[in-house]
Amino acid sequence: MGAIQKEVVSFKGVDKIYNTGTVALSQLELSIKEGEFISFLGPSGCGKSTALRMVAGLGEATKGKVEVFGQKPKDLIRNSNDIAYVFQDSNLLPWRTVLDNVVLPLELRGFNKNTRKEIALGVLEMVGLKDYLTSYPRQLSGGMKTRVSIARALAAKPKLLLMDEPFAALDEMTRQSLQMDLLDIWKKEHTTILFVTHNVYEAVYLSSKIAVMSARPGRLASLIDVGLPYPRDRVNSEFTEYVDLASQSLEHSLNRKELV
Amino acid sequence: MTSQTATTNRSKLVVESSITDKKKIRGKVKGTILGPIIALVIFLSLWQAIPILFDIKPFILPKPTDVLQAAIDDWHLLWPAIQITVTESIIGFIISAIVGIGISILLASSRILEVSLYPYAVILQTIPVVAIAPIIVIWFGSGFNSIVIISFLIGFFPVVSNTLMGLNSVDKNMGDLFTLYNASKWQMMWKLRIPAAMPYMMSGLKISCTLAIVGAITGEFIAGIGGGRGGLGYAITVAAVQLKTPYLFACAIAGAIFGIGFYLLVSSISRFVLKSWHESAMKVEK
Repeated sequence: MGAIQKEVVSFKGVDKIYNTGTVALSQLELSIKEGEFISFLGPSGCGKSTALRMVAGLGEATKGKVEVFGQKPKDLIRNSNDIAYVFQDSNLLPWRTVLDNVVLPLELRGFNKNTRKEIALGVLEMVGLKDYLTSYPRQLSGGMKTRVSIARALAAKPKLLLMDEPFAALDEMTRQSLQMDLLDIWKKEHTTILFVTHNVYEAVYLSSKIAVMSARPGRLASLIDVGLPYPRDRVNSEFTEYVDLASQSLEHSLNRKELV
Repeated sequence: MTSQTATTNRSKLVVESSITDKKKIRGKVKGTILGPIIALVIFLSLWQAIPILFDIKPFILPKPTDVLQAAIDDWHLLWPAIQITVTESIIGFIISAIVGIGISILLASSRILEVSLYPYAVILQTIPVVAIAPIIVIWFGSGFNSIVIISFLIGFFPVVSNTLMGLNSVDKNMGDLFTLYNASKWQMMWKLRIPAAMPYMMSGLKISCTLAIVGAITGEFIAGIGGGRGGLGYAITVAAVQLKTPYLFACAIAGAIFGIGFYLLVSSISRFVLKSWHESAMKVEK
């Protein structure tokens, strides 16, 4: 426990201003340690997806610095498989089967055919979709598509998994079962997870830390350490306390915006 | 006792509903197949009756029976003409598909190329092909080659514009996914942009297959006989000069039937290619 955890992601005074003049992020200061499950919680327009995209090297900071494993994200994705991204909609290629979708990251990285298939079968088993290898995305339910996209993200054995509201479009039952499975995967794979959500319960259930964001401009409103052991009980009083705490901090950030 | 009646009632209901289902299906068949057939029969009978009633000469408006008679009598002329036009259109279509898709990929892979060349492709399209056809005849000689080129020129543009649109309308998130795994330009093209453009490409091909026939027949009007034997367009011009109107109708109808058949063939190829696709993607093609 006492060992100093390695820093995975660091935001140092990060501003993001779009060409339209919208300030998406302002003075974001955050350090994420290895093995953490951290959620960005906030209303829409608070720049949480923007922050995630920067970590993935899909966007640049206007001011300040984003580093992943001490490197610029753009350089990192050029040379390694360390970062994987799960998109809001499952973002599967409709012309590829489940297996071929999962294989894609390995294919693009030039793995040979047999290794590709072996790894893909492994991750598909992990998400419980081993019997759907030859199905096409259109034949799957929303929850199954999300599972495939998680499997695809895991295929390249990332050290950092970025998830942009992956469960937002799912029904409550499916969402809960996917949340449980995600925690299992997190335990098993020892990845660091950055999870964007606007759902307070989801954030409290999943995260070891919650970064509550305020909107316009996007700022870090508070950082909540969720001190509950896993697996968490959704109905116990401590759980509810954390939900209240996160909600208050969210509300506070909203009120402050209205005052300004 | 009551439960028994309940079950029998239910089974009756089931039976009834299946009967109504069958009726519905039959109704649908009646609506979709019988309707057009009745319309056709009425149309043909009117067509047959009007020249008789108003004593119109066959060279002005031939009766359907005259057209059929002409087709049978001159089958030895009509059949080779059909074969020639079919060959020309299919070759023209295949060239416009290959060249069209190839040029689209080339243009889409370089922004500079696309920006500087696409306007000229549009201009090429707005030039009426009939107007430049004589030049094509001067360059490539009268007959087969020129006709194929005219057919190609008419069918080419829909393929280019549709394919280009498809190649440039890749979903942003999918593009990001490929960027994240450091995909090369080449991988982006072959594994993302081309497959994503498939529905657009197919709708372009469906437009161009009917245009290729129009091109071939127009080409035959201008470029005449190919290798001593003329196609439908040539046959039509000759029939018009000789006032063989029933035969002219037979040629036109033969062209139409070929057009429908070719379109159905290309459509079914397109359906086969896109069969694994999501419905939302299928909506693009129409």
